[in-house]
Amino acid sequence: MGKLVVANNLTLTYENNPVIKSSNFTINSGDFVFLTGVSGSGKTTIIKSLYGELKPHSGNLRIGEFNLFNISKSKLSTLRKHLGIVFQDFKLIPEWNILKNVMLPLLIAGVNKNEAEQRAMEYLSRVKLSHKADKFPAELSGGEQQRAAIARATIHNPVMILADEPISGLDEYSASLVMDLFIKANQKGITIVIASHSIPTEFSINFRQLHIEKGKIYELA
Amino acid sequence: MSSLKSHFTLILALISILFSIFLFKTFSQILYKYKQNIIDNYSIVIVSTKQLSPNDVDNLGTLKQININNELKKLKQKYPNIDFSNITLPYFYKLKLNTLPSPKELENIKNELLNKPFIKKVMTKSSAQTKIYNLLMLLEIITKTFMYLIGILGFLLILKQLEVWKLLHNERMYIMELFGAPFWFRGAALFKIAFIDSLISLIITFILIIFVTNLTIFQKVINDLGINYQIDYLKDFGLLFVISFIISFISSILVVIGKK
Ligand SMILES: Nc1ncnc2c1ncn2[C@@H]1O[C@H](COP(=O)(O)OP(=O)(O)O)[C@@H](O)[C@H]1O
Ligand SMILES: [Mg+2]
Repeated sequence: MGKLVVANNLTLTYENNPVIKSSNFTINSGDFVFLTGVSGSGKTTIIKSLYGELKPHSGNLRIGEFNLFNISKSKLSTLRKHLGIVFQDFKLIPEWNILKNVMLPLLIAGVNKNEAEQRAMEYLSRVKLSHKADKFPAELSGGEQQRAAIARATIHNPVMILADEPISGLDEYSASLVMDLFIKANQKGITIVIASHSIPTEFSINFRQLHIEKGKIYELA
Repeated sequence: MSSLKSHFTLILALISILFSIFLFKTFSQILYKYKQNIIDNYSIVIVSTKQLSPNDVDNLGTLKQININNELKKLKQKYPNIDFSNITLPYFYKLKLNTLPSPKELENIKNELLNKPFIKKVMTKSSAQTKIYNLLMLLEIITKTFMYLIGILGFLLILKQLEVWKLLHNERMYIMELFGAPFWFRGAALFKIAFIDSLISLIITFILIIFVTNLTIFQKVINDLGINYQIDYLKDFGLLFVISFIISFISSILVVIGKK
């Protein structure tokens, strides 16, 4: 398995306030990774650095061929097209209906509208949201928005899915639907990184756990 | 998707800018034509003891000798007992000025000419046309000031529009960027709005222009000025078309670039 993400002496800060201090970790292609830690430990911070929203303060951070320390705007766009991100606050486009929201990565990839629509309907049915396709984000419950966001993050077969607390706040039904989607995606070879304060019980597949504590990242067996 | 109100500001701004540009242009052209018209009809009569060349009058304009043979004939008939062959008659010239002088400048020109020993008499008429012209000049200053104000107002309205657009579109453009959307994709909706707003403003401005220029008062003023002025609608509309699209596209591009 090739190394997809390599972090060396990575330090992440907000205005010189270090959150992650000189840490090392790697994520291999096809890994299913849980990024754990208490609230405020820096899970979201690491996810943000992985999609280039937060520039490393020092050290190295590479994803595939991209060096996130000095990535250009156009390369960042290219990288992001190959990621599927589930944000902690969903970030659905409020003035678009759910169907169009889910279509977004396909539209960006230049897939024609009809085909994108079909695929989006298919992915909506996977998260049991077909009946809400023409509703707007504000008309959906938190759990439903979460599921729509996950459909959007998986629809374009990304290389890696970054999901920030995708199941916290979900009821058991939604949570199992969502985890199922991630597992299916992983079986297709997609690398999964899930930030979560805990790992769901009864989790059947092989996974790795990277744990953040006091700004350092440890691999737990 | 976007409310009528969010269109309204840009459309209003564009219409006021476009319309004032049109008025500005039309007014300047009318004034220029009128000025040419006065110059063409305006002349100074000079009486001189010698033949004049343009150099003799400091190249102020073109000289044309007035033929006095007819007048002379009449005089001879009237006074048959005077022997005109013994009298050296002066030369009469019409001086057509290159530029239109103000009444004060005219006075200076007159004095300058009279200072020359060979010039005996200079006749000017303080024409009614120069008075109209001065009035028009005043009007021009007032309207130009007014149009600059409208232009500034339009500009401020557009700045306001940019703020509104930022509020309306920033979140969507930011989310699109997080998914790697290129510039044109993020801006597509805004570019579309800018295009539609430009088109609407242009149509309204054109209607306004056609209406105003076909008012009888407008036609009457032009007729009364005694000039031949035709509005080149195609050219004017073309100019406004280009200006309108440039303004609205620059505005929308600024919003897409300046997001966050
Ligand atoms: N935008 C920000 N500016 C300054 N500090 C921040 C910002 N975002 C997060 N932090 C701080 O960084 C630390 C880690 O936050 P975060 O990564 O969101 O934790 P987690 O996702 O594990 O709950 C927290 O102490 C938080 O207060
Ligand atoms: Mg978090």
